[in-house]
Order: sequence, then structure tokens, then C-alpha cells
Amino acid sequence: MAVPGLRFDQALQAILIKDLRCEFRSRYATGTLVMFALTTLASVSMATAGTGLTPEFAAALLWVVLFFCAMAGLARVFVQEQEIGTLLGLRLYASGQAVFCGKSLFNLLLLLGLAVLVVPLFVVFFNLEIGNWLLFSLTLVLGCIGMAVVATIMAVMVMAAQSKQAIFTVITFPILLPQFLSGVQAVSQVLAGNEPDGLVFMAGYDIAVIAAGLLLFDYLWND
Amino acid sequence: MNIHQVGRSVIVLAAGGVIYAVFTVVPPVEGLGNLVRIAFFHIPVAWVSVLAFLVSAVAAALYLKTRKMTYDAVSACSAKLGLGFCLLATVSGAVFAKLTWGAYWNWDPRQTTIFILLLIYGAYLALRSTIEEEEKRAVIAAVYALLSFITVPFLVFVIPRMYPSLHPEPVLNGAGHLEMEPVMLVVLAAAVIVCSLIYGELLSQGIAKVNSRQKELKL
Repeated sequence: MAVPGLRFDQALQAILIKDLRCEFRSRYATGTLVMFALTTLASVSMATAGTGLTPEFAAALLWVVLFFCAMAGLARVFVQEQEIGTLLGLRLYASGQAVFCGKSLFNLLLLLGLAVLVVPLFVVFFNLEIGNWLLFSLTLVLGCIGMAVVATIMAVMVMAAQSKQAIFTVITFPILLPQFLSGVQAVSQVLAGNEPDGLVFMAGYDIAVIAAGLLLFDYLWND
Repeated sequence: MNIHQVGRSVIVLAAGGVIYAVFTVVPPVEGLGNLVRIAFFHIPVAWVSVLAFLVSAVAAALYLKTRKMTYDAVSACSAKLGLGFCLLATVSGAVFAKLTWGAYWNWDPRQTTIFILLLIYGAYLALRSTIEEEEKRAVIAAVYALLSFITVPFLVFVIPRMYPSLHPEPVLNGAGHLEMEPVMLVVLAAAVIVCSLIYGELLSQGIAKVNSRQKELKL
């Protein structure tokens, strides 16, 4: 239950700032995650070096790299709270919805940061021509929103599980698949120089998972 | 002989009757020949795998509302059965695809959808197996079942736009590969009903088993 005086937006802001500060101090994302992203990117790039990639193939590889980076890092928002024993405190100070929104926003920032790093390198390594940067970025942002939100819900689920990291990937993938597939399709359309036609769909998916998260998060949070 | 045994024997007899009808009453179809008989297995199990998914999600919602462990048992048992039926549907569909279209697997929209259904069931059951506390497991599994249920409509929209399909239109179509004659329709309907009954029977057995185990634990 929320403490009187701590409104929703204040709680959200506090959680976001706390997580950013923790991140700044531990530099987990900037260390491990960035290296993880570089490793996947390099392995994909080296394995396909010299072969001309079709837009569909390049788009699929880009999303695979982003997806596995997300899987490597995003479960941490709750697992870390659990490991250092601050879950109860968080539960006392903020409502489920505020925690959900704050953590999702933090995950989104993390993911967008990774995308800002990965995408230019991807373009350089694979010698891609991106005609319309605006639509390309919009596709990535919509995809990242979905990934961040779903990953946040799944992260709170795996807290109670054993072998958290493995199960996190396993349970996140089927839920993310619609977004994943339409993201691949939209990016390949942009890379081929066409207008992507699945953006409304991706936005709809984002709205659906955000709504589902707001409705269902309390069940996971308050027990 | 109690009521359960009567019910079970009726189902077994009906299943025998349907199998007999599939091999004798149903005529071979032009272009497919005897292969059409696979459809009388494939369509019912595919239908039941979707039904099981639906039951699992509804039971999950009811659990979150009432917090009765019976609903959790229903959700879990239904998911397990759904996984089994889903596997049967996938394999029978792949065999049919190999014999008629030349390849077991080509990521046809329906193959993709059913594969994702398999993934969801698999993930749901894997998630359950990693959580030890019963109440927690029930809540988390219920939320997961509902979440995956929300994403299914999106799949139904997105996948057919991405890949061309060879699969005939769902069940009752007039003009596609399978010209349904009245005889075949009747047999198919009977097969679907029998398959659903088998599912229902297995589900009630599974729930009864879970319930009796819980009673033993409480004693």
C-alpha cells in the first residue's frame, strides 16, 4: 500500500531515480550488458561476414541481438532487489502500479541505451542503407517498449522461481513473439526502402501489455 | 459399476465407433485419397488443444478471483492435456503436410501458431516446475496463463500476414481442399465431440488426483 503523501507520480519518479542511481554506481549495464551486446553483435557479424544480407535477414539478426540483450539484463530490476533484500521496503513505500511503471521505464531506458549503441554498430558492420531513420527509430522504440514492459512483468514472476535467468528467457519469448515478428517485418520493410505497415499493430500490442501489466501486477506484487 | 465407469466405457465405445466410421464410412477424396482420414484425427485434437488453452486461461482468472486451489489444479491439468493434444495435432499435421505438400515443416501460419501454442504451454509448465511454494506458484502461473492468452489474438492477426498458407480454411469450408460431404461432416462432428469428451474425462481424472493428494497432505 502506498504511504500517504507519496503520490503515484512521486513514487514512480523516486523508483526511476533510485534505479538510475544504483545503475550509475554499480555500472552493471554499462559493463556487463554493453559487453554482452558487443559479443552477440560480433558473433553474428563475424559468422555472416562477406555474405550479402537480405533486408529480411538483417532485420531478423538485429531483433535477435536486441532480444537476447534484453533477456540478459532486464530481469535484474527485481532480482537485484531480492538479492540485497530491499523488496519489502519497496513494497511498503510504493503501490504495485507505481513500481511496475517505474521499473518498466527504467528497463525501457536501459534498452533504448543499448539500442543506441547496437544499431549504429549494426549499420556499420552490415553495411546497411537506412532510408527513413524516423520510421526505423519509431519501429525500434515501439519494439523496445513492448520488450521492456513484458520483461518487467516476467522479472517479478521469476523472483519466486529457481534458475531465474533460464526460465526468464523461456517464459518471455512466447509472450513477446507477436511483437518480435512484427518488429522483424517492419524493420525489413524499412531496410528495403518501403513504408512499414505494422506500426499500428506494434503500438496496439504495447498498449495491450501495458494495460495487462497494470491490471495483473498487483496480484504478483502484493503476495 | 459407478457412474464414472459407465461414462468411461461410453467414451471408449464411441471412440471405437468413430474410428470404425473414419475407415469405412468416409470415402476417399479426390486428390487426397485415403490421406483425408488423417484430418479426422488432426482437426479434433487441434480443436481440443485450443479448448484446453481456453479452459486453462478461464480457470486462471477464476483462481485469481476466488483463490481456490481447485481452479489452479484445473488450469494446470488443462495446460498439461493441452500440451499433449497440441503435440498430437502438430505431428499429425506435419505428417499430412509431408504426404500432400512435400515437406514436414515450412512455417505455414497454422504451423507457426500451433508451434507458439506449444511454446506457451511448455513455458507455463516449466514456470510451474521451478516454483516451490504452492500459493505463489498458483498466482504466478495464473497471471502467466492470462498474459499469454492476451497475446494470442495478436498472433492470429500478425502471422497470416507474414507467411502464405497452404492450410485449408478452418474446419468447415465449402470450396477448399476438403470438399465436405454430409457423411464426412457428421463423422467429423462425432470425432470432435468424442475427442472433447476424452479431454473432459482426462481433465476430471487429473483434478481428482490433485485434490486427493492435497487431502492426504492436509491429514
